[in-house]
Amino acid sequence: MYISENSKVVVQGITGNQGAFHTKLMLEYGTNIVAGVTPKKGGQEVHGVPVFNTVEEAVQETGCDTSIVFVPARFTFEAVKESLLAGIIMTCTIAENVPVLDMLRLVEMAQERDQHLLGPNCPGMMIPDKIKLGIMPGDMCHYGNVAVISKSGTLSYEITKTIGNAGIGVSAYVGIGGDPVRGKTMNEAVEYYSNDPNTKKIVLIGEIGSDEEEKTAEFIKEHVSKPVIAYIAGKSAPEGKRMGHAGAIISGDFGTAQGKIEALKNAGALIADLPWDVPKLLES
Amino acid sequence: MATIQHEYYCSIALDASGRQFFLIASKEGGIDIEEVAATHPEDIIKEKFSFKQGLTRELAKKVAEQLGFTNHLLDSAIDIFLKLWEITIKTEAQLVEINPLVLTPSGLIAVDGKMILDDDAAFRQPLIQELEEKNLSDLEKLAKEAGFSFVELEGDIGILANGAGLTMALLDVLSQIGLSPANFLDVGGGASKERVYKALELIFKLKPKCILINIFGGITRCDIVAEAIIQALKDFSNAPPMVIRLTGTKEKEGIDLLKRENINAFKDVMEAVNKVKEVLGG
Repeated sequence: MYISENSKVVVQGITGNQGAFHTKLMLEYGTNIVAGVTPKKGGQEVHGVPVFNTVEEAVQETGCDTSIVFVPARFTFEAVKESLLAGIIMTCTIAENVPVLDMLRLVEMAQERDQHLLGPNCPGMMIPDKIKLGIMPGDMCHYGNVAVISKSGTLSYEITKTIGNAGIGVSAYVGIGGDPVRGKTMNEAVEYYSNDPNTKKIVLIGEIGSDEEEKTAEFIKEHVSKPVIAYIAGKSAPEGKRMGHAGAIISGDFGTAQGKIEALKNAGALIADLPWDVPKLLES
Repeated sequence: MATIQHEYYCSIALDASGRQFFLIASKEGGIDIEEVAATHPEDIIKEKFSFKQGLTRELAKKVAEQLGFTNHLLDSAIDIFLKLWEITIKTEAQLVEINPLVLTPSGLIAVDGKMILDDDAAFRQPLIQELEEKNLSDLEKLAKEAGFSFVELEGDIGILANGAGLTMALLDVLSQIGLSPANFLDVGGGASKERVYKALELIFKLKPKCILINIFGGITRCDIVAEAIIQALKDFSNAPPMVIRLTGTKEKEGIDLLKRENINAFKDVMEAVNKVKEVLGG
């Protein structure tokens, strides 16, 4: 989805702990990181990557077209806005706890300008063996034809690793993030990969809260002929309790694990009871 | 005491997955509004608008007219809707609701209301900070200060995991095989040694029979988690038995650190879950 092995990546917040650490891991994976940005730190180098003061400067000097943002939540709005204004095609935000209104403004801006956002509160995305734009472990799987789309970070690592261990390859791993307002919705990601010639099957990893799985189920029913396998977390969650993610709140009947499972089944998706049942459903 | 002639419902709500807002209203307000929404959805008026566009007077008027208001009541309903929007923006709310909005001989009166605020905006919204402090239990306050999510449950297995989804899936798996977790605890992304240590300290307070730690490192580093576990076991001699599963970023370093202290760690989560069963004598 809007990235490839040819993407030229800029890391915003590259001089911070997380920024520097994951720049190293992404470089080791083979991601083409051409620039870093931290205001007032221009001229430095992090793991051999030149640091600029602004994204605009980084674009001019390196031609970067893809950004991964490691700045803290309260500075995310300014950082992502800067990336959009500099013309970056795909901007991926890792931070959690970004205020909802900030995300709404950024999403509207991206849509108007025909640019793309992923996250926040997400692990990023990866095309195995080609590019890793994120914080996910790189060794979960190899390239293949199953797209994995997930609201959750670590649960998707668990499931993607079991897919990889079963010898099944992945065409793209996309963490859309656990926050209520997202750059890319589950539905948009499913639409993209249902039209992607390199993807034969789609794995959806959802969880209680919000109505994304229900909306996605409607879309699948109408438009998706590729097999869809889904796992939904939160079946045992007590009602009315908030389980961490802003998205993971149950209110009434809406957003429950059972409701989502029914909607997806009804749309023809296969439901995995346990996270590690996914590979066997992919093989069926 | 004013005579209530009619009860209406009105709210502005964030449609998160649609990335827009709704102005919602109904002539059938009052305590049964959920029932109305479920059985007579046609009685609920819903108009969407984008954040950028905001709630316009035209849209507010359209909804007020659909509720049947005319003349001065129309103006006052429009004003109320526009004020709801003003409050939404000002307080960064995800829901601002008046229910019921009652009609009396002297006009429209908001009798009861509800708001849902955005915790993530607390750093610039003093109102949210105040409310947060009032509404949390002691343990929850401790968790919040340390930076992780925590919910107390009924069972006897203390849980420390990372990521809300992975933690929930773990609770689901335990429930499916008849084990019962004492808590939900998502230690959060990129947890420091101090944060993991505080999470363990909090779980100790629940006095569980056994603790299951499930970490899949991405931004979280297994070596840092291992250091916190070792420290906690040194400091708390009466800690319950711990079953540890570590995998992902810095997995080898983490497991080696634990081995040096003669602490066993699993790489596979199901092996860890089975070990918990064994520890509990099941």
